[in-house]
Amino acid sequence: MPTTTDQPLLSPELLGRLERLELVSRKVFRGRMKGERRSRRKGESVEFADFRHYVAGDDLRLIDWNLYARLDQLFLKLFLEEEDLHFFALVDASESMNFSDPSKLRVAKQLAAALGYVGLCRADRVSVSVLGPEGGRAPVLRGRASLWKMLGYLDSVESGHNVSLHDGVKDFSIRTTGTGIAVLLTDLMDKQGYESALRMLIGRRMDVFVMHILSPEELDPPLRGDRKLIDVEDRDESEITINAYVLQKYKETVHSFIRDAKQFCSQRSIVYIPVRTDTPVETIVTQYLRERGVVR
Amino acid sequence: MSWISTLTPWQWGLMGLVPIGIILLYFLKLRREPVEVPSTYLWMRTIEDLHVNSLLQRLRRSLLLLLQLLVVGLAALALLRPGVRGEMASQGRLVFLLDASASMQAEDVDGFANRFAKAKSLIGDRVETMTDDETAMLVSFSDRAEVLQSFTTDRRRLRDALSRAVVTNRPTDVLGALKAADGLANPRRTSQAGDVNDVQVADAKPADLLLYSDGGFQNVTEFDLGNLVPDYVAIGTTQPTNLAITAFSAERNVEKPSEIQAFATVVNLGETDASSSATLTLANELLDASSVDLPAGEQVGLSFVFESDDAVSLTLTLDIKDDLPTDNVAYAGLTPLRTVSVLVVSPGNTPLELALKTPKAAKICQSQFVSPSYLQTEPYSKRAAAGTDDLIIYDRCVPSEMPITNTFFIGSLPPGDGWKWTTGPTGVVLIDLDRTHPLMRYLELFSLLIFQGRAIEGPPGAVELLGADVGSMMVLAPREGYQDLLLGFELLSESEDGGTDTNTNWYAERSWPVFVLNVLRYLAGAAEASGAPSFKPGDTVRLRLESALPKVGVQWNGGGATEIDSMEVPVGASGVTEILKTDRLGNYQVKAGDRVVDLFSINLFDARESKLAAAQAVELGYESIEASTGGVEKRKEYWRWLLMGMLALLATEWWVYAKRVG
Repeated sequence: MPTTTDQPLLSPELLGRLERLELVSRKVFRGRMKGERRSRRKGESVEFADFRHYVAGDDLRLIDWNLYARLDQLFLKLFLEEEDLHFFALVDASESMNFSDPSKLRVAKQLAAALGYVGLCRADRVSVSVLGPEGGRAPVLRGRASLWKMLGYLDSVESGHNVSLHDGVKDFSIRTTGTGIAVLLTDLMDKQGYESALRMLIGRRMDVFVMHILSPEELDPPLRGDRKLIDVEDRDESEITINAYVLQKYKETVHSFIRDAKQFCSQRSIVYIPVRTDTPVETIVTQYLRERGVVR
Repeated sequence: MSWISTLTPWQWGLMGLVPIGIILLYFLKLRREPVEVPSTYLWMRTIEDLHVNSLLQRLRRSLLLLLQLLVVGLAALALLRPGVRGEMASQGRLVFLLDASASMQAEDVDGFANRFAKAKSLIGDRVETMTDDETAMLVSFSDRAEVLQSFTTDRRRLRDALSRAVVTNRPTDVLGALKAADGLANPRRTSQAGDVNDVQVADAKPADLLLYSDGGFQNVTEFDLGNLVPDYVAIGTTQPTNLAITAFSAERNVEKPSEIQAFATVVNLGETDASSSATLTLANELLDASSVDLPAGEQVGLSFVFESDDAVSLTLTLDIKDDLPTDNVAYAGLTPLRTVSVLVVSPGNTPLELALKTPKAAKICQSQFVSPSYLQTEPYSKRAAAGTDDLIIYDRCVPSEMPITNTFFIGSLPPGDGWKWTTGPTGVVLIDLDRTHPLMRYLELFSLLIFQGRAIEGPPGAVELLGADVGSMMVLAPREGYQDLLLGFELLSESEDGGTDTNTNWYAERSWPVFVLNVLRYLAGAAEASGAPSFKPGDTVRLRLESALPKVGVQWNGGGATEIDSMEVPVGASGVTEILKTDRLGNYQVKAGDRVVDLFSINLFDARESKLAAAQAVELGYESIEASTGGVEKRKEYWRWLLMGMLALLATEWWVYAKRVG
């Protein structure tokens, strides 16, 4: 059982390092408020975007008078608008995540907190929530000062929200209207399959990241002999005699599972990031995620 | 080479189920340790892949189970004593001949109650080693053969048949058993030998003839082994100890009717000297005793004298513990003294009257003389029909019907077609005399003068007792349980002038009264009144009783006070009864109510059976067969216990293991 729940999700050192990072979106989204990012919407930033013909009612202040002098036609000078980014971290808090030490859920919460903090530091709109109906309780945060609120929420999240990925993402999609970066922190172990959930996120034109969290025990189970395996989510029992051959088969199944997930994601421009729970969060965020282009 | 199977197919099947049972028990007993996993999702996918060979996968892991199965299998195989049979000259067909004669009761074999038990055990061992291809039959024989089981491959039926076999008190005649065994091996031709058109009706089926016997039988000459391959398994030692009573009888002293003389012959038929005491008991009370001390091969006669007027049942016992107890006891019976009733129908016959009135004859005979006209009267008809007389003598006269009793015709033919004169009256010279017949005992007749006689031809079964130059002069013939004696010449003849002439000088000879006494003893039954006959075990005992009895009881007495058994037998219309259950040695009393009407005894009295030394070779159909050990080799199999211990240990280990894991 996990023993590290008493420790803070993010250490002060990590917080310091996170402040220097920035979330990278491969897409340009329309934000709701002015932020530190360029927006597809033309706005008031100093960065030139385009010209267009003047139509009645346009702000006269935006007319490029120099062009008018040369061409005797009225053109409006358009500038790019700087906007904030929507960052959604979706944490799978099903019972299966409460496994290993540190638990997969804790690692997921740490990663969500770290990425969320990066977003907060860059004035992005950050929403960290668990999948399922409980996610509606999650606050939408902005600004560095909201860090404690976010951590408070994450601390309150316990495992046991046993919803399928499909239902959880569907619930999220209904609840959320905006688009942006969606980071799904899950172990993808859903008997109904993860594909529909990821398709739904893409359908929402999110820039989707899947952080596939697996514990070493799942990759290489320390089980031998005649066992009755009990699924912690649905209490499904499965009798099995585990010998070297079965274990080998299991590992092949796991690798096949990971390979399939990776392939599914890459075909749909989803960034797939496998995460082992025995890897420190600092390493994941400051090295691993940077290498994968999630942050910079 | 063939695999020795100690199990029947269904037993093999049952053994094959043992490992399956162990595997099933393994799965039933298996208690899996529950463990929580985040999701069985991947495990399920793994199991699906393995589903097709999941059973094997489960077993694959369990090295312990596999090892145990291997050990159990090896142990089970070891317990079955696997092995291959070497080349055997087996014909595939076996005929077991089991000697069940009296000598097989000899107790000279170690480890078994008697020779018969050992023979059964040897046959049982051989049956166990039979292959599935072998077929066998079982025949037991004493003085007759009994097919206990015809050819079969079913070992169980052979074992059942073997368990039914019992040893008897009877003598040995192996020929019947050989003929029973012979049937399939040497099929007969359809008709006469030498007929070229004749064909053999069936294929010969060669067989092994396994004779389990002590060889105590006559050499068999009228038999051809043909396709039978003999193997004689000698049972018993060659150095037995055996004292035997080979004869025992009792007679009343004719001079002193109340005095009884008992005679016995004791023979040492063993190979060592023996001494014993012989005890004579009457109804379990000691009468007399005598000591017997005999070197091997010698014999001695014993005689005892005592007095009794009643019917007696005597038992003579040799008080020795030798190899064959059966022949140490002999039985003899004696009926109470009685007189016979004789009716003489004669126109007058002084020599006969005188002979019937001699002191000896008068003691055992009550005679009545009547004239031939008496034959026409009512009292005679009743006497003749009731059989009141023990003997009727017709001197020169003929009844219209034969009476229900024995008859003696002098110079006249009995009624009916059976008897004929073959010549007319003529001079007679006697040339032959059957002295072995009881009627002719002690007679010297060649000095007789016979003036006129006629040769006789009797009915079928007739025996010539006196032969003359012209033909038979005295003939004895049976008639429905009775006997008729016919003398071909008259003693006295009627002269031409109506006077009486003598036809022979016999009446002046000493042999005449002796002959009449013989007639009284044998034909009238006076002799039976003294000594009871002795029969061999298993013989059919035929007795003539008073015809008025519808049934009689037969009481067997084996000597001891408790060895008494009774049975009832019916009596035929002519007063003849047949007693079949005579297998047990002892005195048999035939009783009508409480009255003893007859006695007989059953004794072994067979020197061949009592001669116990097992023959080292027997001769069957001019072929001498050496004795073999009969051995199916048997080991003392202690290793079975070791293996059983191993299995028990394994089971304990398994239990402990299962308990610990569970």
